[in-house]
Amino acid sequence: MRWLNVLIARLRALLSRDKVLHDIDEELRAHLEMEVEANREMGMTPEEARLSAAKSFGNLGSIRDLAYEVRGGGFMETVWQDLRYSARMLFKHRGFTIIAVLTLALGIGANTAIFSIVNAVLLRPFPYQAPEQLVIVGEYVPGGSVSYPNFVDWRDDRNVFESASAVRSNESYNFSGAGEPERLQGRLVSAGFLTLLGVKPLVGRDFLPEDDRPGAAPAVMLSYGFWGRTFGNDPNIIGKTITLNNQSYTVTAITPQDFEFGLPADVTIPIGLSAERFKARGADPGISVVARLKPNVSQQQAETELNVVYKRLEQHYPATNTGRRGVLMPLHENFVGSVRQPLLILFGAVGLVLLIACANVANLLLVRASTRKREMSVRVALGANRWRIIRQLLTESLLLASIGGVLGVLLAQWGTSFIASQLPDSIPRLAEANVELRVLMFTLGVSVVTGLLFGLAPALQASRLNLTEALKEGDRGSVGRHKLRNVLVVSEVALTLTLLVGAGLLIQSFRRVLQVDPGFETQNLLTMQVSVNNPDGNQVASFFKQLQENVRSLPGVKSVAISNGLPLRGANHPVFFIQGRPLPEPGKAPGGIRYTVSPDYFQTMGIELIKGRVFGSQDTPSTPPVVVIDEALAQHFPNEDPIGQRLSQSASGGPIYEIVGVVRHVEQYNLEGQAVRTPQFYLNFNQVPAERWPGLVRRINLLTRTDVEPTGLAAAVRGQIAALNKDQAVFNVRTMEQIVSESVAPRRFSMLLLAVFAVVALALAVIGIYGMLSYAVAQRTREIGLRMTLGAQRTDVMRLVIGHGMKLAVAGVVAGLIASFALTRTMRSLLFGVSATDPITFASITLLLAVVALLACWLPARRATKVDPMVALRYE
Amino acid sequence: MTNPKADLLQGTLDMLILKALSLGPLHGYGIIQRIRRMSDEMLTVEQGALYPALYRIELKGWISGKWGQNETGRKAKFYKLTLAGQKQLRLEEESWDRLVLVVAKMREAT
Repeated sequence: MRWLNVLIARLRALLSRDKVLHDIDEELRAHLEMEVEANREMGMTPEEARLSAAKSFGNLGSIRDLAYEVRGGGFMETVWQDLRYSARMLFKHRGFTIIAVLTLALGIGANTAIFSIVNAVLLRPFPYQAPEQLVIVGEYVPGGSVSYPNFVDWRDDRNVFESASAVRSNESYNFSGAGEPERLQGRLVSAGFLTLLGVKPLVGRDFLPEDDRPGAAPAVMLSYGFWGRTFGNDPNIIGKTITLNNQSYTVTAITPQDFEFGLPADVTIPIGLSAERFKARGADPGISVVARLKPNVSQQQAETELNVVYKRLEQHYPATNTGRRGVLMPLHENFVGSVRQPLLILFGAVGLVLLIACANVANLLLVRASTRKREMSVRVALGANRWRIIRQLLTESLLLASIGGVLGVLLAQWGTSFIASQLPDSIPRLAEANVELRVLMFTLGVSVVTGLLFGLAPALQASRLNLTEALKEGDRGSVGRHKLRNVLVVSEVALTLTLLVGAGLLIQSFRRVLQVDPGFETQNLLTMQVSVNNPDGNQVASFFKQLQENVRSLPGVKSVAISNGLPLRGANHPVFFIQGRPLPEPGKAPGGIRYTVSPDYFQTMGIELIKGRVFGSQDTPSTPPVVVIDEALAQHFPNEDPIGQRLSQSASGGPIYEIVGVVRHVEQYNLEGQAVRTPQFYLNFNQVPAERWPGLVRRINLLTRTDVEPTGLAAAVRGQIAALNKDQAVFNVRTMEQIVSESVAPRRFSMLLLAVFAVVALALAVIGIYGMLSYAVAQRTREIGLRMTLGAQRTDVMRLVIGHGMKLAVAGVVAGLIASFALTRTMRSLLFGVSATDPITFASITLLLAVVALLACWLPARRATKVDPMVALRYE
Repeated sequence: MTNPKADLLQGTLDMLILKALSLGPLHGYGIIQRIRRMSDEMLTVEQGALYPALYRIELKGWISGKWGQNETGRKAKFYKLTLAGQKQLRLEEESWDRLVLVVAKMREAT
């Protein structure tokens, strides 16, 4: 009950401060009056009576304050008082405050920015209903492509899933609205896709099974963004038709504003409409399947059930389904699994930066504590107890951290959008990254912890003072304080070394990646994509023939080619069969990457011919079909000459291609290669029969090799396309160097960010060492002067000071090396061509840090040698 | 805060105040006068000590204050002993007696 009284009193004192004070005043005045009256009764004059009473009362103000404190005003009042005092102190020592606040703002801001990214990408739940029940089904491997007929066969098996939907992202459509033809990103899904995810369309309805079959009336759902920018958010669009790829689609729904699923898509279309395209059971059509687990069924149980079905399919379709099985992975894992580790490493790194910042500010506080010793002593002499001093100093620290936190949030606002804009689009949900409530809570927590972290030790130190000693001038600082400062410097160096090693390893990896020979020439190569939707094969073929000729005639153009795939961008993935060999077991046929290219492709790309010949004018639709293979495919002929051998793409029937040449392998997905290189083979566009052209040219790359800067020619090439067909959409205009650069963008990003953190850490550590030594030199001026009077040379003094600094630096480096050995292991998966304990990196970083530390020691050491012994001895 | 001497003095002052109030409700000035009279003019409590002690004891719930009028019609705050205060006074008197007894015994022993 007592605490309740106290609490009520405190609250009352805080809320009605004036009333409480007034109450006390009244009471004291009544007392005084009574005293005066009593004095009068004893025969004093009114004047004497008043004076005597006042005298006996003593200091009215201090009684009042004391009384007020007892009546509960104390606590909140003191907090307020401490705050005001802190603010005054911080304002008075502006230099210190600015440095400390900026250091903290940098640390807290960087942490907030990275956390807001981590929050958006990793922590925030997906905006679906019960997302933990959602899984991604793949064949063979987690997240692998699923054959559409297989999906259709098990989709309706209610033993396995609550529901399932096929999803094919990265579709593209030509949208001819009112103005210029526009290229749209599309997605194919099964009926019930939104219902499965538990997402309600903004307007309209989800796809029904009758929309999701061949020959159905084409339906489409529009994304919120596309709906807004093209139709001005007009809800009456539902039921109207839009034209995609020259076909009319009826709009059935608008998806909600925050809806997303994998790659962005402007339009979503039932996959069943194009079932014909995916009818090959043995194909890998790039379809993934999202499914909802049945209630109380674990992922393992569902996978077991699913593979019962796959066993059955294997018996029915041995040719295509032997060995095929379903693999489940959580939806969350599928979307963010690959970015989790890099993000967490960056998050850890930025945490280290904050720790270093804390160490620096703590160091500054320690320096200031020694200059404020007299202030503290006076306060103690005036009756402040130790707790009171600690509270005052911690209030100052927390105030500093809070100002740093507020600035940090502002910094993070900008930093988050900057980082998000620099990150590759392939990272999901990045667009949602912002400084939201949870991030602010994080920042608040970080600020408080930071304030305590850097404030507590100096406050404890400062409060432990011996009054008589401290009040005397010229105190030389206690040993304990030096020890603490040394520990701070050592840990700063250690943390910095760890960050530098991490950044160094990533930089090394990045250099190695850039040194990888992609197998073609990346300079002076312009690429763009065109998509043609025209069922007339002859027209399509002549369009491309004419287009290549026209572009080739442009000044500055060396050669031109078309291709349906591009290195570093992925391509088709069919199987192939070598003629004259026993048929491989079903499902065991080797897979390759198939390009269909025009004859000038190899010359335009700069892909080196190793053996035989590339396509030439002798290859026509009427001559026997030929194929060019890469080195990886040539390894399928270990003891024979591949030239003259023959390939087919189907176990039975279909064209048989004669191998006429072997070319260099090109890196297909990124520069980092794969453990096993996937074979590549090239077919000739000129041998493709006219009726197959329309199916091949959904997405064609037009490649232009120039002898000038290629971006300058982009407009001219586009002009040639428009001259042939003004409605032809052109997209993804890039130089090959841009494509290479985009393919290494994620790596460059984490490398740059970690490097920036490491440099900031290094700067902070240098300031830390320098500040600590400068202060030590200033404190030891008298001692140094004495030494010099007794015959010490400048070199001795130098050695003394530098020795002190370097001893700490070496201790830090040793601790840092140990920490690095332990920590760099965690980033192994981010490294390329360099080991996590790469001796060169470790050695060069150690050397770098040693040199920098030496520099930081040298300046204060030089100042020490400038000490004039006479002045120093008279110092203080 | 953990100065034993101060605690002793404070505890004593608390007891004196409680004792003074056990004779009837009184204002601050009156408490000082009453303590002086009760101690045969030997003890004078300073105002600076009295009021903080009064407020502290009031927070503990041993006394309760209420504005009223004194004999000359002046407005003053009167404090009166609560039930808890009476109990506390008994406790303090007992422990004080015990202390006196112990000290007396020790002195006799020398």
